[in-house]
Amino acid sequence: MTNPRTLWIALAALLLTLLAPTSAALPAPAAKLDVVATTPDLAFFAEAIGGDRVDVKSLAKGRENLHALVVKPRTIVAMSRADLLLENGLSLEATWLPDLILASRNKALSYATGGRVNCSAGFEPLEQPTSLSRKEGDVHPEGNPHFTLSPLAGRHVAGRVLAGLVALDPDGRELFEARHAALVERLDAAEARWARYRPLFAGKPAVVYHQEFDYLIDYLGMQTVATLEPKPGIAPTPAHIARVIGLIDEHEVPVVLTAPWSNNRSAGAVAAKSGAEVLELPALVGGAAFATDWFALIDGSLERLCGAYGIEPPKPPPADEESIGGR
Amino acid sequence: MSNPMRLRNTTPLLFPLLFASLAPEAAAQGSAFSSPGMPNATGQTTRFDNEYNPAIGFSFDALLASFNADHSDEDGLEIDLRSAEMSLASWVDPTAWAYATIVFDGEETSLEEGAVHYTGLGGNTTIRAGRFFVDFGKQMQAHVHDLRTIDRPAVLRTYLGAELGGDGIQFDNWHAIGDDTIVRYSIGAFGSLITHAHGDEHDHGGGGHAEAEVEGAYRPELDELSLTARLTGFTSLSDTQTLQLGTSLRSIPEFAFHDEENDLEVEGQDNMVWGLDATWGWVDDTQTSSLTIGGEYLLSSGALSAEVDDPDATPGTGDESLEILDEDAAGFYAFIDYGLDPYNSVGLQFSQVETLEDGLPELEELDLYWTHSLSEFQRVRLALTQSELEGEEVLRLGLQYTIYLGPHAHGVNF
Repeated sequence: MTNPRTLWIALAALLLTLLAPTSAALPAPAAKLDVVATTPDLAFFAEAIGGDRVDVKSLAKGRENLHALVVKPRTIVAMSRADLLLENGLSLEATWLPDLILASRNKALSYATGGRVNCSAGFEPLEQPTSLSRKEGDVHPEGNPHFTLSPLAGRHVAGRVLAGLVALDPDGRELFEARHAALVERLDAAEARWARYRPLFAGKPAVVYHQEFDYLIDYLGMQTVATLEPKPGIAPTPAHIARVIGLIDEHEVPVVLTAPWSNNRSAGAVAAKSGAEVLELPALVGGAAFATDWFALIDGSLERLCGAYGIEPPKPPPADEESIGGR
Repeated sequence: MSNPMRLRNTTPLLFPLLFASLAPEAAAQGSAFSSPGMPNATGQTTRFDNEYNPAIGFSFDALLASFNADHSDEDGLEIDLRSAEMSLASWVDPTAWAYATIVFDGEETSLEEGAVHYTGLGGNTTIRAGRFFVDFGKQMQAHVHDLRTIDRPAVLRTYLGAELGGDGIQFDNWHAIGDDTIVRYSIGAFGSLITHAHGDEHDHGGGGHAEAEVEGAYRPELDELSLTARLTGFTSLSDTQTLQLGTSLRSIPEFAFHDEENDLEVEGQDNMVWGLDATWGWVDDTQTSSLTIGGEYLLSSGALSAEVDDPDATPGTGDESLEILDEDAAGFYAFIDYGLDPYNSVGLQFSQVETLEDGLPELEELDLYWTHSLSEFQRVRLALTQSELEGEEVLRLGLQYTIYLGPHAHGVNF
């Protein structure tokens, strides 16, 4: 056998020599700010505010499970080139984002340098646990992380994204603020529109697979009577499913709400036995054909909820009718 | 006659020095109070509070198995705590993080891994130093309880060991090619490469290796260091598909076979294993269902094993000698794994390997498994393993139970 040790040592030395200047070289500054958002929702706000000064990529697609994203090569490459990382926060990405940042070796993506922005920071989360124990399942320490499904989240996220962009690209402040102002106008109109759904749903019972719709349910004043997961992240057991079916009958719940990434076979089985229907709503922008942006996500979800509960959608006030008619 | 395999640990002293020379000047907290001639305390000076301690995790892996073999003395049940593992991890400072894995395998407790990842060179370079699993193929960096199957594929167990860790240093780097592809490479040098076995690693089909004790070089010279290298490309074929190709090498340029019972030794042995791996993966658009198909081919050259030849079958009479098996040998494994949903996956794995015995008889091993996750932290696996060596067959029906307490992460491995 030929002993390769001399060749190996020479190869190692050669590689180290070749790599030294590569490692030390800094990437050339890009004309646009490279923004990586963990979710399509955050990417929407980054594009809406950043306009032509940003190049935005979303790590997750609209139908994917954010609790356990499968990392792909293009994900690592995008992270390695990013100037700004927008994350959902509330530990939604806790299982994969820290290691992805570590693997990407992008030191710019830190809170200290302004290259990493937690978009939920400052938002009052639901379901903050009073104690932390795995006995309660996959509980997020800071509370329910699916806050972008709250119709009230848009204004908060827009503010966080604006601050993040201005901090990294002060020259773009004027553009960012102008686009943010235009977005806030859309939010004003949308929030007024969505508020009209609240009295229609107040007190209505809801059954969900996972708790991703709790912000929407809370906003509408609905009452969650059961979740198919006995605890967050724990698969339904037959005994628990039987209890849920009983609760659906008792409260006359017309639908079981699920997200694309939930185990919709279980939801379907429950629906079949209880007489309820399965309503799959997107949990993120792009999670359904109608959810083309964040406004469409909320609008479309509310419309479909109305259909499922047999509720006539609210009529827009005359001023809005004039506005729509005048377009 | 065969003896259990052991590799003697010889930590090279130059690694800490090499590593220290790469590090920036230490700027740790000094002790506020120390007397001349006494060591200065560094790091956290509040000795009794808990902040800045490493993240601590535990895992337990147990197996209940029923064996049915052609040799009836191999039949029966087995209940085995395969491993109880404590892991610790923490950032050292902004340029380095470190971890340790301490394992009780049912017989003894050992430091299975304890290493530092130094990232202060910039770019995508990592220098890893300490004791750690070798970067070979897709599986050798993972601990056995983290694998898709109950045991590592037969070909890896045979040529590399159930778990192959070494004391050494490794250079690792990756580069992006376009937006969708990463190429990573690593080169490692080890003072020793230690074969670990968790509990009872079964040789299905009675594939007992003809082995003498193996000793690495004592205080090796530079050209006696064991070496590893890996080159792999990982690409996104689409939003839902990835493909990874890789090649790996592990070379031990100097070791000796030793038989204590007869005081026999054969020095000047070397061995090299070369591997080629491919893995294709698909996930659906919700990432709840997945399909993974992969495999790895290994070729071993150089000394594989040694057998004590004792014509009169009486140890210590002086007629014994060590016979070295140094033929080229090859093997492979291939698998298909289907994730039905976040909680369930099923799979099939086949491994074939020319074993370390005279004539290189082939061991074939077929695994059929179903893995059910009760949660993210608790897993049950039911597996049927069929092994065959020279016409002798062993069937094992195993129930593996694994739990994780606290943090347990493996980073982004590829």
